[in-house]
Amino acid sequence: MNEDPYDVLGVKRDASQEQIRKAYRALARKLHPDLNPGDKAAEEKFKAVSAANDILGDADKRARFDRGEIDAAGNERPPQPPPNWYRDHAGGAYDNDAGYADMVDEDELLGALFGRGARARRGGGAQFRMQGGDIHARLDIDFLDAVNGGTKRVTLPDGSTVDVTIPPGTRQGQVLRLRGKGSPGLGGGPNGDLMVEISVGDHHFYTRRDDDILLDLPVSLPEAVLGGKIEVPTPAGPVMVNVPKGSNTGTVLRLRGRGVARKDGTRGDAFVTLRLVLPDTADADLQAFAEGWAAGRAQNPRAGMES
Amino acid sequence: MAEDKDRLRRLRLETTMVEYCVSAGWIAPGAPDYSEADLARACLVRDLREAMGVNDEGVSVALDLLDQIHGLRRALRRVGDVMHGLPEPARQEVLVILRELDEA
Repeated sequence: MNEDPYDVLGVKRDASQEQIRKAYRALARKLHPDLNPGDKAAEEKFKAVSAANDILGDADKRARFDRGEIDAAGNERPPQPPPNWYRDHAGGAYDNDAGYADMVDEDELLGALFGRGARARRGGGAQFRMQGGDIHARLDIDFLDAVNGGTKRVTLPDGSTVDVTIPPGTRQGQVLRLRGKGSPGLGGGPNGDLMVEISVGDHHFYTRRDDDILLDLPVSLPEAVLGGKIEVPTPAGPVMVNVPKGSNTGTVLRLRGRGVARKDGTRGDAFVTLRLVLPDTADADLQAFAEGWAAGRAQNPRAGMES
Repeated sequence: MAEDKDRLRRLRLETTMVEYCVSAGWIAPGAPDYSEADLARACLVRDLREAMGVNDEGVSVALDLLDQIHGLRRALRRVGDVMHGLPEPARQEVLVILRELDEA
């Protein structure tokens, strides 16, 4: 600020007022803070140039400076108006996105990044909107909840809880998306989503193959030999099943519509594999029967294994 | 509006000059009172015309380009905000892509 004003404007001591005016204009055009919105150095230089021009631009004051009556710091300088640069107020009604409208209109990603619809908001001022992040969570569920559907409470990293509806037929590794249950959005943007990865537990007698349920069903010797109605558990509830006379271990019974629930309300099938189970304790009658059973003794169940 | 007059005097703005800015379309007050942005813009117009010797046609061109620059600055700031809001792995990925672009 105390530099020689002639040096600041880059003019000679004997320059004419017109030369000074021209020098000041050239510097002002280059350095005006509003023409250099992000440049602090330009602002400092512009202040010095303005101060120099305040003295030299006025022939009367210039003469007093030349006579040493006022110094370069400008004793008696009129009070400077408080700086009120437009650049400090930009970002509102006057902003114009014509400079990148082509990029925004053609590119979805850039459009979102640059704020598509900014033009429609003219006058509303700049606002930063952003969707919140997704939260990922894992959820262990029971085999039967996965098959039939259900609800389960999830505790999020921040300690809050969310009740997750498990749709019927949910599979191992399936990811459920709960819209709007993720991190909150910024500036009025929508919340993120909660992504719950499902891990399905095992069942102690059901296994699953897509929409079908497989189970082994123990049957007694009389049930297998004589046949009859027995009760079979299925995920859709117990059902009375007719075991055909002369059934064997490995005989498969198909129970239509007793498997895994589907979205459309139907169910897959249950496949029941019979398994012949002898009594736990030795039975004298059975032993006596087996000893006297000629046809049984003649049977070779391993005929297919001979090489 | 005595208050407006006060504000104009403090900024060394002439009432007629500000009204001229409105009629020329350089400032567009949205309310009965001038906003700070309106008056700062009028100061810029004054500087352009008086200090820099820009004529009226030139003022319109300068303001239009400046408005575009401020629109771009806002867009750029928004991109920066988004980048800073990314999770760390994604930010690293962006940096890697940018480095590859620079080397290409």
